[in-house]
Amino acid sequence: MLPTPIVKDVDYEKVYEPAEDSFLLLDCLEEEQEFIQSRFKNIIPIITEIGGGSGIVTTFLHKNILPNSIFITTDINPHACEAILNTVKVNKIDQDQDQDKPSTNSKIPTIPYLIDSCQMDLTSGIKAQEIDLLVFNPPYVPAEIVPEIPTNLNDDTWLDLALMGGEDGMITTWKILDNLHNILNPLHGVAYILFCARNKPDQVAQTMTSRGWNVETVILRKAGWEVLSILKFTKTS
Amino acid sequence: MKFLTTNFVKCAVKGCQSSQESFPLKYEECQLVQEEQEYNPEFITHMLERLDWNAILKVAHDLGNDRLPPNKPENLDPIMEDDQAVLRDLHTLLLETQIVEGKMVCGNCEHIYYIKNSIPNFLLPPHLC
Repeated sequence: MLPTPIVKDVDYEKVYEPAEDSFLLLDCLEEEQEFIQSRFKNIIPIITEIGGGSGIVTTFLHKNILPNSIFITTDINPHACEAILNTVKVNKIDQDQDQDKPSTNSKIPTIPYLIDSCQMDLTSGIKAQEIDLLVFNPPYVPAEIVPEIPTNLNDDTWLDLALMGGEDGMITTWKILDNLHNILNPLHGVAYILFCARNKPDQVAQTMTSRGWNVETVILRKAGWEVLSILKFTKTS
Repeated sequence: MKFLTTNFVKCAVKGCQSSQESFPLKYEECQLVQEEQEYNPEFITHMLERLDWNAILKVAHDLGNDRLPPNKPENLDPIMEDDQAVLRDLHTLLLETQIVEGKMVCGNCEHIYYIKNSIPNFLLPPHLC
């Protein structure tokens, strides 16, 4: 089993705390490791996690799956943007200490650390058709509304943005799905998106298949009273 | 925010999507810091393949660097001494140069985005969303 990144010093009043859904994503990516690595063996991929939160998923991908990549992680929440960089740093120090190289005593990591954290709504500031690997754990909880973006840094509703997904919990996710052809690199692009049963993932898969996408359920798990699954989207060639 | 990332970000305003002027953003009043990365020439040659060289030149110019070759270096060989110097330069510029503070301006709508503590902010005010 691949090691889970260390996450510490994150304020969980403001940033989404890794939970069953986050760990399902890690398990999914571990299961997909071979597929992902062979898909990107001849290019330097651009990897974007939308809503990176604590940074656990991005750090996991970087440390265990695709270290030689360019990471551009986004989150709408400024506290999360900082947490992502912090988690990357914490795990970097951890790795440096693991390296048993007394002769060089080098602090320089042996893999590139090309991880940028952007405060951004979804992928709105990233060039079209550049992203090779997209990972998204969306706000999937059905709710009356999708909350407005707070204007104050100390607002206590930043966390709501990570959870509440409006009607069927799908308002935010559809923004990505409807635009997926424009977001993903047409040659290599692949997206992993998490759903709960109330998002009606079967219907989503059907709709996306009719639009020319290959949709595959990679993993499905009962987590408390929720049933979570992760769908993989690739363009039919 | 790494120099490299400037090659992949653009104005977030919808109306600017089709405009050639919304990429690359114009970088102003930037404070730079060098952050050490392991030198890996193969990674750089590989990475070059997917970069928009004109955008690299423009951003480098914004940041006061006009020393880059006008055309994208191709077939760089890490064994050749001349190529080594180019690769080292690219490594320093693209991977190690961090924009810690600064402004990014869209050439089309002139909206200003800010970089603070190395984090660029692409959120738009409600009237531009």
